[in-house]
Amino acid sequence: MDKKLAVYICTGCGIGDALDVDALSKVATKEYKVPVCKSHPFLCGAEGVELIKQDMEGEGVNTIVIAACSMRVNYDVFNFPNAIVERVNLREQGVWCHPANDEDTQMLAEDSLRMGIVKAQQSSPPEPFQAENLSKTVLVVGGGLAGLTAAAEAARAGYKTVLVEKNPSLGGWVTRLYKQVGLKPPYSELEDVDIAQRVKEVEENPNITVYKGAQIEKISGAPGMFDVQIRQNGNLATERVGSIVLATGAVAYDATRLGHLGFGRYPNVVTGEMFEEMAARGELKRPSDGKEVKSVAFILCAGSRDKEHLPYCSAICCTESLKQALYVKEKDPEATVYIFYKDMRAAGNYEFLYQRVQKEGALFFRGEIAGIEEDGGSMVVEFDDVLVGDRIRTEPIDLVVLATGMVPTTAIGERLVVQADEQGKESEPPADEIIKSNILNLEYRQGPELPTLKYGFADSHFICFPYETRRTGIYAAGSVRAPMDIPSTIKDATGAVLKAIQCIELTAEGSAVHPRVWDLSYPEFFMQRCTQCKRCTVECPFGAINEDEKANPLPNPTRCRRCGTCMGACPERIISFKNYSVPMIGNMVKAIEVPEEDEEKPRIVIFACENDAYPALDMAGINRLTISPWVRIIPVRCLGSMNLIWIADALSKGIDGILLLGCKHGEDYQCHFIKGSELASYRLSKISETLNRLALESDRVRMEQVGIMDYDRIPQIIEDFVSKLEEVGPNPYKGF
Amino acid sequence: MEAKEISLEMKEYLVAAGAQTLDHCMQCGLCSALCPWRMVSGHISEVFYIRKMQRLGQLGLEGFDTEEVLFACTTCGICQLNCPRQVKIIENVRSMRSTTVEAGFVPAPVRSVVGSLHANGNPWSGPREKRMDWQQGVEVPAFSPDTEYLLFVCCTSCYDPRSQRIARSVVDILKKGGVNFGVIGEEESCCGETVRKIGDEELFKKLAESNIKLFKEKGVKKIITTSPHCLYTFKNEYPELGGEFEVIHYTQVVAGLVEEGKLVPNVPLGKKVAYHDPCYLGRHNEIFEAPRTLLKAIPGTELIELSRARERSLCCAGGGGRLWAEVPRGERFGELRVLDAEAKNANILATACPYCVIMLEADCLALDKQEKIKVMEISELLSASMGRES
Repeated sequence: MDKKLAVYICTGCGIGDALDVDALSKVATKEYKVPVCKSHPFLCGAEGVELIKQDMEGEGVNTIVIAACSMRVNYDVFNFPNAIVERVNLREQGVWCHPANDEDTQMLAEDSLRMGIVKAQQSSPPEPFQAENLSKTVLVVGGGLAGLTAAAEAARAGYKTVLVEKNPSLGGWVTRLYKQVGLKPPYSELEDVDIAQRVKEVEENPNITVYKGAQIEKISGAPGMFDVQIRQNGNLATERVGSIVLATGAVAYDATRLGHLGFGRYPNVVTGEMFEEMAARGELKRPSDGKEVKSVAFILCAGSRDKEHLPYCSAICCTESLKQALYVKEKDPEATVYIFYKDMRAAGNYEFLYQRVQKEGALFFRGEIAGIEEDGGSMVVEFDDVLVGDRIRTEPIDLVVLATGMVPTTAIGERLVVQADEQGKESEPPADEIIKSNILNLEYRQGPELPTLKYGFADSHFICFPYETRRTGIYAAGSVRAPMDIPSTIKDATGAVLKAIQCIELTAEGSAVHPRVWDLSYPEFFMQRCTQCKRCTVECPFGAINEDEKANPLPNPTRCRRCGTCMGACPERIISFKNYSVPMIGNMVKAIEVPEEDEEKPRIVIFACENDAYPALDMAGINRLTISPWVRIIPVRCLGSMNLIWIADALSKGIDGILLLGCKHGEDYQCHFIKGSELASYRLSKISETLNRLALESDRVRMEQVGIMDYDRIPQIIEDFVSKLEEVGPNPYKGF
Repeated sequence: MEAKEISLEMKEYLVAAGAQTLDHCMQCGLCSALCPWRMVSGHISEVFYIRKMQRLGQLGLEGFDTEEVLFACTTCGICQLNCPRQVKIIENVRSMRSTTVEAGFVPAPVRSVVGSLHANGNPWSGPREKRMDWQQGVEVPAFSPDTEYLLFVCCTSCYDPRSQRIARSVVDILKKGGVNFGVIGEEESCCGETVRKIGDEELFKKLAESNIKLFKEKGVKKIITTSPHCLYTFKNEYPELGGEFEVIHYTQVVAGLVEEGKLVPNVPLGKKVAYHDPCYLGRHNEIFEAPRTLLKAIPGTELIELSRARERSLCCAGGGGRLWAEVPRGERFGELRVLDAEAKNANILATACPYCVIMLEADCLALDKQEKIKVMEISELLSASMGRES
């Protein structure tokens, strides 16, 4: 593509009043010989946009630098198909957070424009990756409530679906219930279990292929072209699918580990599942002697919210126990029901169920179990009651029911940590733990199952990206993702299957999926220079890159989320996007003018994550906070894409300091690409080598974690860094 | 640690005695947080938590029945009004009290009250034949079958010299307003509201049944009460014992007359009047406007709202049998009302309940504020504004 560059400077929103626009234009026309450079007082208005369109038609302009507001606004206005558009932020990060008509503000604007022109000069328009033989079928793994819902919803939306269930019949956990909690108003009435209806809908749907008594032997490929081998009755079937919903649910925590609550020690201590069976048989009798039950104690959080067992809340035990309390009261309204709980979490409409059980006369106890003893065939519970503030002792109880929590099916199996080398070198960044749960059996270099978040749940970030796992095209739904009840599971499965459908359609367009849905670029590998170091194959947060037997990377573009972590990892810098590459950012750094030391104008490069840090910087401007004039901000897709060479480039040019602003990492991370900021932090720990080579102080490079709401902290974060650099003194490489 | 034994039998006893909503309590503690006892310091404030009392009751555990806990509640009703589970907290308190009172244990401060109610039909140890002494020469019509309203004067205003002025003022304005009313007198008994709250259900029934029988014999259809407490019990508790009457507080009757122009207060008082909503007139009977209408009708009066008014009004501390309790200075929340009125530069703290008048006047004296703030019943102000010295 022959580029014809044009620069448009907007003078609206206070830009024209604060800057010398003629001088700024000269940067384009004189320094960079840009053939077209115009200013307009209202560039995002119809007239301004028309001006650009006329130049595209009349002058053949195809590469456009818009020096105006942040790239986060008006992206729909400045959207010119078939042209490269680069945005220079003169407003939010320019005149809105720096004093007007100030020499330093002008220098900042000029540097911003230089960087924008350089980036535009070096960008190419992305050519979307077009895979062949794409499938639009959804694979649903697991035939319980979540899987049945996902399959039915996919089919209703017009997508063929393959459902694989390991048991000989569909329905899962819900089929074993006597009654289910109310799914409709008034929510306090128990309902007959409706799973049979859901099973029927799926089994009778011609667009859903059901494999029962089946297991997945292997999944290879990538979104749009997953090849699935299914073992059923000794036969092997093969299906090609576009995306996958993982809905294998959870199992109950092993009650034999709850001896302290009497299970296994006393026959009259049973689990909630056992109690469901008793209720279904219509026999609420003491296991010890068959006596009709006159009093029942339910112990909630039996093994949940307990650091010795399951540290988390299992979400359903409160409502399930309330439901079971009604089984007791329905059979015998005079029977005594004790409910021992840590917190009553009858979420949403199940408050109504809770109130009903209270009104039926059940006794509720908040606190901790102190002991359970047998007394002549009956049980006696001692309890530290928070609300009484004392230890209390029950009257004799016939039956104790333990509400055991849920363990996701992805949490069960051998633990595996995949490292670059089989021995696992100490210098490597922390690798994900993969639990070999024998569910998906992925042919991925990073292991056969999904990396799990916490406690073995297959999730990535439950607030920002529900359903997303850390494998593109595989969406988790229901209690395999997080503990959840029946209504939540139905909603969850519906949401996850929508993500699966989006993935199929976006893959067909060659677009990335969430969070860079518009992005048509993808990483390209210049293989001649690859040294088979495995950094990219190990560090990709999404397991997108496989390896051949000689350790050459085998990219799977449809698995890729376009974060650029591979690009940041590659020591040979052979991985590039059409519109984002190591030299491109390096040249932006080099375009910054560095004043001589005696001018006492230090320069700081900020590499700011586009997802949180960059918008936070914009918000600082929107709130008219003042930011140090020495900073030059370069947005990056993710701090994971930060290549250490940029730091070397900047320091050897005389830049005084480099500040990396990225998302919170580690526990409860907020990184949109899961491990990007963590990897940047790890790489930074290795920077001392580079700095030593240059004989520079390690204080010149700093990384800070910021969230999108931290905009008010940003001026101080920058100011603290400026003070530190003042202590360290100017970069001795200035002028070289 | 020694564990306390749960007693489901005791809990069932409480439920049977009227604590039907005891199990509805989810122990959120909003009641304890709203309780006026939180606003003062001292022993009762430290030991009495209405939330915990409900909890102990739910489990039939000992502790709810210790005297300073069991008889602390003034039944002001702010907790009950705001309870997210609509627990009838006062009913629960009443039934808990009944467990000891009906077993013969009556706390010392109200022992004479209960005794006098048995003997004289009033809590003030006044002989029955002196029930009409409050009239003191004022001509008060006697009730006859063709009288429209029975004026039922609270025992307090029958016997307590300070409170007798209220009864006379009410009579004065009713007469000036041309209301067709009359009194019965000696044969009347205490309405029983307070003794029921103390927990003596049997005595309440005796008093109520005697009144119902009397009213029916005399042909009473409509009743005007001077006290919001009588109003409450006649309206809400007599019907289930067979006493269906149309009951109204005097402020409602008189506010109607003022609005219709039949009664025109015309002597300017030139005072700043702060109004204290009695719990039983406001929260319990939802009468907020009538007393304000009356105060606004008095010429030259500036009506001041206290910082807690209407549904949020702070109790004087005199309900639930606590009128007779001995509480050290600084631990009485009635004092906070006087201080509030003072802070708002009021000259008069007006109210519409004989209990509130007794409590607030005592608090005013205790604080030595009697020169700055005068505690008045609305009828007294109205009567004065119509040319009668009270």
